Parts: sequence; structure tokens; C-alpha cells
Amino acid sequence: MVNDSAQLYTIEGVAAAVLMLVTAYIVITSTTVLTPQDVHIIDVQLETLGNDALAIMDIRNSSDDDSSLLQQLIRYDDNSNKTRFRETFLLYCNSTPQGNFDNLQFDAKIFYRGLSGDVQHYSYDRSSQYYREKAVQVSRWVYLDNKPDYGPGNMRSGQQIVLLEVLLWRS
Amino acid sequence: MAKLNDDGQWIILMGFIISISILVLAFIVSESALVGKTTSESVLDFSKNDIQDLRSEVLYLKDIGEINNPDLKYDLQNLSLKRKTSIIHIENWSDTSIQTEFIYIHYNNGLTDYNEYYEEYYQ
Repeated sequence: MVNDSAQLYTIEGVAAAVLMLVTAYIVITSTTVLTPQDVHIIDVQLETLGNDALAIMDIRNSSDDDSSLLQQLIRYDDNSNKTRFRETFLLYCNSTPQGNFDNLQFDAKIFYRGLSGDVQHYSYDRSSQYYREKAVQVSRWVYLDNKPDYGPGNMRSGQQIVLLEVLLWRS
Repeated sequence: MAKLNDDGQWIILMGFIISISILVLAFIVSESALVGKTTSESVLDFSKNDIQDLRSEVLYLKDIGEINNPDLKYDLQNLSLKRKTSIIHIENWSDTSIQTEFIYIHYNNGLTDYNEYYEEYYQ
């Protein structure tokens, strides 16, 4: 026998079921975003910082100057110049407005076109060993008027452009 | 139950309103996570720094008079193809009748296509 008692309870039951289904759907789809949203924003900031630091080091003091600090340091790459690169780069990267220091580390490699014409690389300098921390990579073109003093044997002598690639991470 | 019991309708109505508003808020929160991710990803994808770096390097080469050196062009092209998966093309010519030097810079990494005609008047 059909009657009209308990209509409100029936509507409530249907509405609750729909709400639960939709909520379950939203929960399931939202968990498919595996990375938290701010991870990429930190990457962007780190990349901008690293590129800016390299750009500052690659600016000539005036247009009369032949070369920038970065070019000098890579061209004459003895230990004191490598130390100077490390100190300068870390200073630019780690300075904060409060005056205390951040804890960024880097690993720099230099890519060049070798004697046989193919792309080769050697390790330039690093501030600490890289253990698969979350890192970004920044790079800078560097013009050299000759092969670096301690460059590898299969590097061309004379003028060339090398690519300085720096892996940058916060430890 | 002989007749329909209509007690407590306000409570049920409030229950509806609150649960629907929580649903809408949940929608907004899940959207905001996507927005933060996609915007920062598109910033990362856009190769602003690569282009600025290439541009400053090319203008530096012009400054020291080495822009026509084929070895340096091969360096730029090969290294950027291998390390940045981007195509670079540089050309430079002068028009003596209007005393202007032109440099054409082309950059393409599959996502971003950049073309520039740099002009410089000389005496």
C-alpha cells in the first residue's frame, strides 16, 4: 500500500547519499595532486636566485672592460680562483635581508665542445656533495679567450664559448 | 506512523545549507592547489633566463667583434642543442646605406619561440 508518510525522511536520505558520493569523488580526485602546491614556487624562487647570482658575476664593470669576473675565474681556474668563485657565488645566493645566511649549496660543471666536435664536460667546483636533494639547475654562457689553465686535455685551445651549469639546492 | 511528522524542518534545512556550503568550499580549496601548481609550472617552463642569457652573450660577442666567428656560433648551437634542447640561430649583417648593423637572434625550445632583429646605428 503506497502512502505519503515520511516523505521528508526520504528526501533527506537521497540528499545525504548524493552529498556523500560527491564528497567522495572530490576527495579521490583531489588526492591525485601528489605534489604540494608550494614546491614548484620554491623551485621558481631558487632558479631565479641562481640565475641572478650568475648574471651579477657575469657583468663587466664597464663597457671598456674586456671580461667579467666569471670569465676571469673560469679562464684562470687555479685553486684560489675556484675558492673565490665558491665564496662569491655562495655569498650572492645565501645573503638574506636580515643579514644572516641561508644554506644553499651548489655543484658546478662546465660543458664545452671538444677537439672532436662533440659536447664534453668537466667538474668545475662544488661546495658540497650532492645526495639527491631537491635541486634546480641554472646555467650561463661564458666566453673564454683561451682554454682554461687547468682545463681537460681534449678541450680546444683558443676562443670558445662554454656553458656553465650549476646545480643548486638547499641543504 | 499514521501521519507525516513535520517537526524539526529548520534543523534539516540548516543541515542542507551547511553541508552544501562545505561542499563549495572544498571545491575552491581543491582548485587553488591546482592554480598554484600550474602557474609556477608555467613560470618554470618559460625560458626567460635562457633567452636573456643568450641575448647578452650575443651582444657581448658583437661588442668584442667576434660575432662572425663560426667556431663560437657552433659552440652556442651545439651546446644549447645538447644541454638545453633548444635551437639557436644567429645572423648578422650591415646595411651601409643607412649605416645600421643588424643582428638576428632566433631561439626555439619547442615551447617558446623567440625572434629578434637587433639594430644598431654606427657612425
